[in-house]
Amino acid sequence: MSGEVYVGELEHQLLLIVLHLGGDAYANPIREMLASAAGRPLARGALYTALERLELKGCLRSTLGESLRERGGRPRRYFTVTPAGLRALRQSRRVLLGLWKGLESKLEPS
Amino acid sequence: MTAEPQRPPARAERFLAAALGESVYRDDIVGDLHEAYASVAERHSIFYARWWYRLHALRLAARYAVRLRPTVKRGHAMDRFAMDLRYALRSLVKRPLMAASVVVTLALAIGANAAVFGMVDALLLRPFPMRDVDRIVMPVQTSPTGIGRRETLSPADFLDWRRDLAGGAIEHLSAFEWWDVNLVGRDEPERVLGFFVSHEFFTALAAQPALGRTLRPEDEIIGNHTRVILSDGLWKRRFGADPAIVGKPIVVDEGQWIVVGVMPPGFDFPMRSEMWAPLAFDERTSKSRSSRYLTAIGRLADGRSAADAQAQLTIISERLAREYPETNRQRAAKVYTLSGGMIDIGLPPILSLWQAAGLFVLLIACANIANLLLARGAERERDVAIRLALGSNRGRIVRESLLESGLLALAAVPFALGVAWAFLHLMRAFMPGRIMRFIAGWDQLAVDGRMLAATLALGVIAAVAFGMMPAVQMVRGHLSDGLKTDGRSGVGPRRQRLRRVLVVCEIALALPLLVAAMLSITSVRRYLTDWQGYDPEHVLTLRVVLPAARYPDAASRRRFITAALDELNAVSSVREAAIGNILPALDSNAVRRIEIGGQPPPDPANPPAVDYRAVSPAYFSVLSMPMLAGRAFTNGDQPGAEPVAIVSQSMARKFWPDGGAIGGRVRIGQGEWLTVVGICGDVIHDWFDSRNVPTLYRPIAQAPVDAFAVAARTPGDPRAIVDDVRRALARVNATQPVFDIMTMRQMLSEKTIGLQYVAGVMAAFAGLALLLAVLGLYAVMTYLVTQRVREIGVRIALGATAADVTRLTLAQAARLTAAGVGIGLVLALALGRAMEAGLLGVVSTDVRISAALALMLGITALAASYLPARRAAAVDPIVALRSE
Repeated sequence: MSGEVYVGELEHQLLLIVLHLGGDAYANPIREMLASAAGRPLARGALYTALERLELKGCLRSTLGESLRERGGRPRRYFTVTPAGLRALRQSRRVLLGLWKGLESKLEPS
Repeated sequence: MTAEPQRPPARAERFLAAALGESVYRDDIVGDLHEAYASVAERHSIFYARWWYRLHALRLAARYAVRLRPTVKRGHAMDRFAMDLRYALRSLVKRPLMAASVVVTLALAIGANAAVFGMVDALLLRPFPMRDVDRIVMPVQTSPTGIGRRETLSPADFLDWRRDLAGGAIEHLSAFEWWDVNLVGRDEPERVLGFFVSHEFFTALAAQPALGRTLRPEDEIIGNHTRVILSDGLWKRRFGADPAIVGKPIVVDEGQWIVVGVMPPGFDFPMRSEMWAPLAFDERTSKSRSSRYLTAIGRLADGRSAADAQAQLTIISERLAREYPETNRQRAAKVYTLSGGMIDIGLPPILSLWQAAGLFVLLIACANIANLLLARGAERERDVAIRLALGSNRGRIVRESLLESGLLALAAVPFALGVAWAFLHLMRAFMPGRIMRFIAGWDQLAVDGRMLAATLALGVIAAVAFGMMPAVQMVRGHLSDGLKTDGRSGVGPRRQRLRRVLVVCEIALALPLLVAAMLSITSVRRYLTDWQGYDPEHVLTLRVVLPAARYPDAASRRRFITAALDELNAVSSVREAAIGNILPALDSNAVRRIEIGGQPPPDPANPPAVDYRAVSPAYFSVLSMPMLAGRAFTNGDQPGAEPVAIVSQSMARKFWPDGGAIGGRVRIGQGEWLTVVGICGDVIHDWFDSRNVPTLYRPIAQAPVDAFAVAARTPGDPRAIVDDVRRALARVNATQPVFDIMTMRQMLSEKTIGLQYVAGVMAAFAGLALLLAVLGLYAVMTYLVTQRVREIGVRIALGATAADVTRLTLAQAARLTAAGVGIGLVLALALGRAMEAGLLGVVSTDVRISAALALMLGITALAASYLPARRAAAVDPIVALRSE
């Protein structure tokens, strides 16, 4: 990759959720976890758009699983975070942490 | 519970899958929703879950439909079209003046073309309104020695054709023959055009009578033949639309004829005929093969083609040629379609000329409009460049621009139809009815559905023609050029060059039109005003045909002629009157084969022919024709006296090249020998094909004819003596109709009516072309001056005078004009040649005319550029420089 990939807040969260879910990261659990952990109900379409964008950016890779009866014979698409995705996460974390430095006292709930 | 309660609504699922289309994630998304549906269904009711599914499916579908817009085809393409249309409309409304000038220019140019199309359509493509007109054929005879391409038939040949073709390729073969009749009764006597026709004539044309019947075979038997069928017009005009007319007798040419039928309105074939009677041959006539005066017509039998008919007629003609070599040697047959056979051979070249002229005008108009749009394109260059930079595609911008052109063209169509209507209206209004009847289809000139279609098509073609160039120009080249301009003065040299090229084209196209128009006008002027061997001023003419029933022999005709001349000369307003079988400029002619005494003919089978005139003694003085030698006819040249003749100068020169015409002898055919007593001046009988033709004159008393013209010279306006002349002739025979009463000037004018039309239409087209070209040059020069304001400002600031700047601008205009005129001259030469060939030598190319018009065009063009040049000279350098 020629340069650094920057990820937005939603993308940051999605990458983390994919890492948390491990081998079970497909759209439905991702959306549920986002809703429960981040308290953020995301429209399905927006989720797919975000996942697609992350795949395009090279942060996610997807593979198709087996056809499942409960899905009307359709496979699941499982996502994994790529090395580039990990780099982007680290970079994003570093930037955020750097910015947080010295501000803890101000932003601590009093 | 059913076997699989978790299945989501099937239709909604299919809808979702379809809406996702080609999306990579389609199966996952549908699968995910399917899976989620199951868990929703577990937690809630099935009913809830199904609606939940439908809602989510719809939301996903909507989202993907929006995202995938560019690849979705139909519905959205329409949306975009509507958007483009709105955009185009808006940009036109923003510039109403420009839009209006484009619409007016287009309406004139398209209207002119639509009108020419209307003429071609009505006169060439479908001049006859009959049913199945394509199946109607006109078989004609051809002969290598004949004068025309299409020869008429002799009665015996026609009867043979009809007998041999029966059951063959042509059915209902019929013949018709001219039958001018004098109609007497109720009102004043009238001359009516009728035709003798074979009994199957109406069947061949698929015409049914409105009243009574048409003709039957037994009507063709002499004795039974005094039957007549009336046209709707004649029945109403002359017989008060009497519903019981069938079976009643009417007086025709002093005889009693029984009306057997009335034709429906609209049936007037051929040549607006008003009466039809059976074509009956007596014993002697039906065997005649030497006098040919019949025109044949028939209908192709079912399943047979014109080629079949041609083959069959060729066999028949060959047999006739073998059996009757004296008359039918070298006579072949050719099958024409009705339109092909009846059409005036002069018409197609004239219409082609007009089509070419119309096309030139349209091209000039398109160049003009393209120029206007180019200027506008320059203003929008920045706008377009920004849109391109933002990712709009070039195709879309071109499409938008073409849409704008299309809208302009569409707006012009109704006006163009108005122009075409006015044009056709004028064409009809100026055509004398006497002549209109010979041009099949002329009375059908009108704006109709076909013309509307043609106009729309022309509009679309024009829109593409003038819209494409600016559209492509707008999106060509580099974005950065467009972005750098400030939208006012920014133009690449390429666009300027294009505009100059367009103006040069306009001038180059206008010049040949001007030259063609001027050539036609000078020809008309020449034919109308040049000396033609006689004086057409102050002469009233009319025609008389004596019915054979009342004037069966020479003596009776001579009596009428003598009495008529006596009565006419007694009228105080008539200075002198004369009678002749033919007058100069009359649209008919008489020709005789002659033999000169002491000069055995070189080819006895084909003796020389001369124009033949039988005239009263005063003929030469009434027409102011000079007697060059010998004497004119006198009242002493009566039957019983020495048979005499006068020859024209050209005849004297041709047959007596060494002199000695006077006293020479000549005879017509095998007739008695005539002594030449005088030589008269030549006349131009017809500018088109008979100028100074050798002519033989005989005293009408020695050779009385039954059809003749009267010429009466008066000191004043000839139209003022019409009633006097009519009354004088009525005193001789009150039931004798006279017709074609007109001044000799009028006669001349009608004779050149075709050429006058050519000249008039060409002048209109040329005027339009000139106007458009000059306006185009003016617009471009104004534009160029605006573009150069800064440069001119610098020049003035550096010391250039107003005269210098004017000269600079005019020089630029002069270069464009010179280029246009140069190319135009070459085109004009070519067009002149084409006209010369197409119009039977009526016009001749004249270098002086071309040169004069080129000069005139140049001066006009420079005059049009003078205003922009003055404006350039008036540029204030400070303002000009600050404006940047």
